[in-house]
Amino acid sequence: MENLPLVPLIPFVSAALLIATAGRLPKMVVGLLGAGSIAAAGLLVLNIGIEFLRDPTPMSIHLWTWISINEFKPAFAFYLDGLALVMMSVITGVGFLIHLYSTEFMQDDASFSRYFAYMNLFVSAMLILVLADNLLLMFLGWEGVGICSYLLVGFWYQDPANGAAARKAFIVTRIGDTSMALGLFLLVAELGTLNILEVAEIAKERWEVGATIPTIACALILGGGLGKSAQLPLQTWLPDAMAGPTPCSALIHAATMVTAGVYLVARNHELFMMSPLVMSAISIIGVATLLLAAFTALNQHDLKKILAYSTISQIGYMFLALGVGAYSAAIFHLMTHAFFKALLFLGAGAVIHCLHHEHDIFKMGGLRKKLPVVFWSFLIGSSALAALPFTSGWYSKDEILLATWSVPTLGPWLWAGGIAGAVLTAIYSFRLVFVVFWGEAKTIPDKQPGLRMSAPLIILCVFSIVGGLINMPLEQVFPSQTNAHAAGPVAWITMTIAIVGVLVSYLLYLRQQINVEPILNKPALKKLRYFWYSGWAMDALYDRLLVRPYKLTASLLKTELIDRFYNLIVESSVASHRALSITQNGKLRTYAINLVVGIALLAAFLTGIV
Amino acid sequence: MTGTDFLALSPIIALAVGASVLLLQIAFLRNLKLTTGITVVTFLACLFFLFYITKLNHQTTPLLLVDPLSTFFSIVFVLCACITTFISYEYLKNRPGRNDEFFLLVVLATMGSIVLTYATHLASFILGLELMGIALYGLIAYPHQDDMSLEAAIKYLVLSGASSAALLFGFALLYAITGSLFFPDLLSGLASPEVAVGPQSPFWARQLILLGSALILAGISFKLSLAPFHMWTPDVYEGSPAPITGFLATISKGAVFAATLRLYVIGEFHNFPTIVTGLTILSIISILVGNLLALRQENIKRLLAYSSIAHFGYLLIALIAAGTLTPNGISAIEPSAYYLAGYIFTTLIATGLIAAISSSNNEENANLSDIAGLFWKNPLLALCLSVSLLSLAGIPLTAGFIGKLYIFQMGVEAGAWLLLSILIIGSGIGIYYYLRLIFSMTTDPSSSRSTLAPALPVTVSLITLTILVLYLGIYPQPLMEYLLWNT
Repeated sequence: MENLPLVPLIPFVSAALLIATAGRLPKMVVGLLGAGSIAAAGLLVLNIGIEFLRDPTPMSIHLWTWISINEFKPAFAFYLDGLALVMMSVITGVGFLIHLYSTEFMQDDASFSRYFAYMNLFVSAMLILVLADNLLLMFLGWEGVGICSYLLVGFWYQDPANGAAARKAFIVTRIGDTSMALGLFLLVAELGTLNILEVAEIAKERWEVGATIPTIACALILGGGLGKSAQLPLQTWLPDAMAGPTPCSALIHAATMVTAGVYLVARNHELFMMSPLVMSAISIIGVATLLLAAFTALNQHDLKKILAYSTISQIGYMFLALGVGAYSAAIFHLMTHAFFKALLFLGAGAVIHCLHHEHDIFKMGGLRKKLPVVFWSFLIGSSALAALPFTSGWYSKDEILLATWSVPTLGPWLWAGGIAGAVLTAIYSFRLVFVVFWGEAKTIPDKQPGLRMSAPLIILCVFSIVGGLINMPLEQVFPSQTNAHAAGPVAWITMTIAIVGVLVSYLLYLRQQINVEPILNKPALKKLRYFWYSGWAMDALYDRLLVRPYKLTASLLKTELIDRFYNLIVESSVASHRALSITQNGKLRTYAINLVVGIALLAAFLTGIV
Repeated sequence: MTGTDFLALSPIIALAVGASVLLLQIAFLRNLKLTTGITVVTFLACLFFLFYITKLNHQTTPLLLVDPLSTFFSIVFVLCACITTFISYEYLKNRPGRNDEFFLLVVLATMGSIVLTYATHLASFILGLELMGIALYGLIAYPHQDDMSLEAAIKYLVLSGASSAALLFGFALLYAITGSLFFPDLLSGLASPEVAVGPQSPFWARQLILLGSALILAGISFKLSLAPFHMWTPDVYEGSPAPITGFLATISKGAVFAATLRLYVIGEFHNFPTIVTGLTILSIISILVGNLLALRQENIKRLLAYSSIAHFGYLLIALIAAGTLTPNGISAIEPSAYYLAGYIFTTLIATGLIAAISSSNNEENANLSDIAGLFWKNPLLALCLSVSLLSLAGIPLTAGFIGKLYIFQMGVEAGAWLLLSILIIGSGIGIYYYLRLIFSMTTDPSSSRSTLAPALPVTVSLITLTILVLYLGIYPQPLMEYLLWNT
């Protein structure tokens, strides 16, 4: 286990090499470095995992002390426990499959090397994020993944729209990160440490459950999680982030980075338990987000945007689980979601790849026979997303919803929201399958995915089905859940509700037996649909509420007023510069006199004459 | 003299032997390459001995005290002298005339800096200072056909001579009262004036000691170019051969500061409020004057001269705050040593590059326009210069930031709010002219005619220094611990 630090180091070195060579290496070598480094990291994780499961005691590796000023000694240290192991496995495992897929997907791109440099850097930063034993180092990884996300969303920067999307992703998450940084400052000021274990320990000693300061600290840190995980009210960036290459969306904006907020809360669950108020807020935000995003997903017709909203919605489920204290269920759903959502994104990438970059699902259709591998991937991925019985998503979502039901007072309400979301999820995910793969073919694929694209799809298919049977080593990390499973009807509804959604979808989109067009096109409903389509008009709201007032203030201030004060500083500095420059006249006499006067003044001052 | 004495003096002996060999070699065979080689070997031998005695703590004769801190400083100085040699070779090889003695003077000046660093006695202090100073007069005037350089040397000679006179007179006054030239005894007369030797009344004894201190302070301030004793700096930096500008800005100033630090702490100057107030005034004026003068400076050498005035103003804050924090003033050592090391490495990158530019242009001075477009012509060296400038400005991830943070934190702990506000204002102005240089490196390259392709040793040295500056900025802990353990 001593080679734990190598896990983030290998992708980092590979990224450094790719950056230093700046695209001068042949594509073959770039691909080997890019995917090979993740494979090497993955094998190391496998090795560490086997050792850890044999002797599951958490351990930390202290590499060095970063800086030591008085009591504040943040370390560069990694902490390995069950949670870190699960996260590492997901990052390197799913990450490797996505890298392998990318070697073919990005084959014809001129910036092949740049792409892998960013991707490897991302994996390295993400690994640091989940391995960090203190919140400062975690913040380093946190910002590292943020910058990689920015770089990859704006990967095709020649199109200004992609640049705008990248900036939006960066700025919106930055709002969350600022809040998180403030939370960390508060922790340092109050507890004097950022070490995760120490924070939990000291917080329990020093604070009472429900007191004001832990509530503020948790709320601020949660702000960071909400931004990163695209939850209300900071969810607006994720759909735009789909401007990046599809495999990077699969890795960053579906499987790993966007779930960092879930990891953050799970990792600091002892701190968050100090504030029941924030915990309730997390569950309510989770439900609100999952419903909002599900409604929006139902009305999208861009393949990737549907998946983006479904990601927001599924992370909503994870936050719901966190809020009700079902941490291992949240991490379980994080893992299964990583499998099936990566599968769906990679499948979507294959569709887009083979259909001349077509994104609109209503211009596809009938691909069932044309792209069989992709079809099966989508079918399995969507089943898992819809949580059809015995797929991986079914196990994890079931756990979440049952845990929600048994929460006192709020529980049934949250459960109902989750069930409604489950129906919607099933409808929109099978709407996708039926529209894209059945019906008449509107665009004909001009190529087939090759081996490097199909193999990851097939492997992820397997995991999307059997992933629910994986037993995660989380018993030591989280408090054991005592809540027993709910009684008969609730359990039955929870388990089978998804089938209802699939049936609705079947009737509406495949059989088209009920003609809903006239109803849908009624003006009131059309407006509502448009409202949902626009993501509940959040972008417009923020534009009115924040962006425009900000720009207005900026343009008001641009002309004069406050500038006058700063100009004064500039002018006075320049004036003093001119005045002083006159003294530097190059004449030895002046300098000598100055020296003598200086000595005299100093002597007079020290002896008390002046 | 025991074996340990010889061991303690081995770095100085190595330099002395090297200087003698150089003299003999030049007498019989003039060959610039050979001279450079011998110089480098001399410095490497000296470095070897220095690394060998890092743990040694030994007073050898009343004159010199070899301890880990001064050995650390000496390592920094000799390393810089070695790099200066590489840079000088580049600079000299295309100059007309005989250039061999240049290196002899560099070795002697470096020897002076080590003596100065090890000094615990005013005699060794002045000996080291003048050994270094006289070699430097020769070095500044080395391109003697050049009017600028002669003018600079004469200015430096006259003014530096005057300041040395002040310094010596100050020593004499202290000696008259206390009867000792040993650092720890110097101000003993001030603490208890009645023990003073000689016929003076306690009041006059006190006044004379303070007058002596004032003269010493003025002399040292001149060497460190603290305002208002700063006026020579830009003219001398501008007129000197570019490698010697680097030597003046780094080793020469660094050695004087190292000796001053020891004088200040061992002599317990920090216990006397008037001296501390005097330092405060010098610090404030230096920060403001240095930064303001640099503001719109086009000549990079002059700009670096002004910036060094400001930086030594910052450094004084550590000395001023030390007395309030710990009774023995020892807390001044760690931050100021860190700051000084960072400053020396950083400045050597900048002056080294200026030297490289002026060597390839065959011109003494580099202006803002000479580095225009450097990012497109030589991205690697442009990156080095950018790191150096960012470090001088105190931007995070560089040694300059950690040094400033250190000093800032000391100021906060000591409650020196006035000094801190001046530090902030000064740093704010500083960012403007440092960034201005970086911006000019990114402009259209067609406006400047300079080409820049220094020889391998110079490039390697500059990159090594850059990595060092970044390393100290990202991972300061090892050096901090080393300094803490050895103070």
